[in-house]
Amino acid sequence: MAETMTVFSPEWIEEYKRQVRGSPSYKKAAAAWEGDLTLVVQTDGSAFPRDCYIYMDLWHGEARDLRLVSAEEGAKAKFVITGGYPRWKQVVKGELEPIKGMMQGKLKLRGNLAYVVRFLGAAKELVNCTTKVPTRFPDEA
Amino acid sequence: MHGYAGRLLTVDLASGRVGSLEVPEAAQRSLIGGSGLGAWLFLHRSRPDVEPLSPENTLWILNGPLAGTGFPGSSRFTVCARSPLTGLWGEAAVGGNFGPALRQAGWDGIELAGAAPAPGILVIDGDRAELRDGSAYWGRDVYQCTQALKEELGAGFRVFCIGPAGENLVRFAAIANDGAHFAGRTGLGAVMGVKRLKAVVVRGSGQVPLADPPGFAAARQAALASCRDSMVARSFHELGTDAGMDLGLMTGDVPIRNWASGRDRDYASGLGGPALAEKYLVRTATCLHCPVGCKRVSAVREGPFATEEGPGPEYETCAAFGTLLENRNLAAVIKANELCNRLGLDTISCGGTIAFAMECRERGLLELDLAWGDMNGVLALLPKIAARQGLGDLLAEGSVRAAARLGGEAPEWAIAVKGLELPFHDPRAYHGMGLAYAYSSRGGCHNQHSAFPVEQGMVSWPELGLRDDWQGQSSVGKAAMVVLCENYGLLTNCLCQCHFVNFATRPSDLLSALNAATGLGLSLEQLLVCGERVWHLKRGLINLMGARDRDDRLPARLLEPLGEGGAAGSVPDLDLMKREYRGLRGLGEDGVAGAATLRRLGLGELAAKLIGG
Repeated sequence: MAETMTVFSPEWIEEYKRQVRGSPSYKKAAAAWEGDLTLVVQTDGSAFPRDCYIYMDLWHGEARDLRLVSAEEGAKAKFVITGGYPRWKQVVKGELEPIKGMMQGKLKLRGNLAYVVRFLGAAKELVNCTTKVPTRFPDEA
Repeated sequence: MHGYAGRLLTVDLASGRVGSLEVPEAAQRSLIGGSGLGAWLFLHRSRPDVEPLSPENTLWILNGPLAGTGFPGSSRFTVCARSPLTGLWGEAAVGGNFGPALRQAGWDGIELAGAAPAPGILVIDGDRAELRDGSAYWGRDVYQCTQALKEELGAGFRVFCIGPAGENLVRFAAIANDGAHFAGRTGLGAVMGVKRLKAVVVRGSGQVPLADPPGFAAARQAALASCRDSMVARSFHELGTDAGMDLGLMTGDVPIRNWASGRDRDYASGLGGPALAEKYLVRTATCLHCPVGCKRVSAVREGPFATEEGPGPEYETCAAFGTLLENRNLAAVIKANELCNRLGLDTISCGGTIAFAMECRERGLLELDLAWGDMNGVLALLPKIAARQGLGDLLAEGSVRAAARLGGEAPEWAIAVKGLELPFHDPRAYHGMGLAYAYSSRGGCHNQHSAFPVEQGMVSWPELGLRDDWQGQSSVGKAAMVVLCENYGLLTNCLCQCHFVNFATRPSDLLSALNAATGLGLSLEQLLVCGERVWHLKRGLINLMGARDRDDRLPARLLEPLGEGGAAGSVPDLDLMKREYRGLRGLGEDGVAGAATLRRLGLGELAAKLIGG
């Protein structure tokens, strides 16, 4: 069994990038996507140590860049999705679809909604990639 | 009681005599208003065996206790009578501005009895009402009639009129508010037609007295804040109700080729909300007092499907004249929408009936030059349906009656529940929706409950005790979900609130507003009991009209799995859900509630009529 990595840690992000880059389903679904995206993980410190900003430079089905960045850098992305750590944990576990999460107010989207709606299949594949990363959650024994 | 006017305007169309009917406070307190009050009025002032297309079929136009208060989403109103399409309880809710104007004129609603000897227009200006000669308007389409009445009567009048389809008694004829908002379902435009009433127009300017003005202002601000913060509201505002097309195609919610296929063929890029916004949107529009603004004004500027600027299309219309007919040309959908609007046709039943006809043609049951995706043929057919010309006369009966006349296998291809063509949400993708279709008192419907947003995860209402993580393709636990969603969703129709605004707000926002407006002082639990009461009242009415458990069913096609698409391989376990549901509702195996259940809810008179004793 593969060794687990702490969620949203640099090594977890590296493995996630590898999964995205290796996903033919994502490549197909995002073939026309142009733009960068930041996932903002907010925390009160109790379950996860600090806020983090996962920057994804996505272009025509390729993940050109995917890394942790500062808040200032993350805020410059064309699209920003923000949510609390417990919500992102649900997403990574496959328990919360991000679109439902946004509709229910659990995740917030900043950016052109009409553009995002055209790429719901790509969003689904990005989430599928997270479930392939062997993940350890710091608030779970 | 605050919030309510406490009276209905009564009109005897045969004599032109107008009067006033006091509404008992107990009825308003226990049924809230809107279609709940309409069902109570039907029980007490009509007959379950009344012929739907006869002057005796009394028609009510009713608003809710928040009408005219400015609360977000409170501009809707409802029309009720026995349905010419289903032969059962008929109701249709509609947005716009007519409901608030009627309340500001001092009325909770209008009761229309009998039929006029010649085409008439009912003009209500505050306390005054009179039936005028409407001959000059008869034969005009909805847009023409609306414009002409506004020009003749002057500023401030709100119009509610039928088009040629209603005049010609098409069983799925709609009624239009100011030419932009349609009471489409169950064919009540034909009831206006048989009464020879072309239009009702109203002007009102009075204030609605509130029990607790500061409390109401606070509830209104809370609801506005909820809307501002809501992604659902934002998606409806930016993309219209067609916002759901893209996601629906992914999940298998959107029916294709008369519900027989799951093969997407990239419909989303052609028919979805983003495509509409980018190619054909002229501007957004809104009902009165709505912060969401889901309405579209669109136009096709050139080409074979060129249109004028006009309202729509909604999601349901994009599915009805798009995926359902295997048409990917959004311009053609907009053209069909314009024609339906002008003629006064319900786009859901109309699209469903045309899809049925296409399938019958394909299977050799109907001689018709109309292949899948032939939108020129569809556009040529619509005026014939409205005029009942040729084959249009058969299709004007709706898919279920047309199927019965064609015989053979034809009934299998009419996708309807209790005679009402289904809206375009596939129960193979969302099993609870199938149960909700089966038990909706007006026939297969997505707006007699809140199962649609709850099961699809568009809302989170923990204060109702509802989970927000349902698996669509599972039947487990769905009976309890649907019962609660009906009890809450029906209240939306009693309050005459917009379902879409409700998606974006909390139940407590609505309850606070109702209590502050009326002084009713209800708890959330008591309010939900009102919803339960209304469900049983409407159920009792359709029982009196002959509906039984055998009618609580889904079309056989929807119990067969699709081979492809988001819902491939999935079918609802309707038997399981029905067993659980009957237990929760206190229904016997015949689909009739026991007397004890009805009496617990204060429906003793219904129990006596239904069960005796």
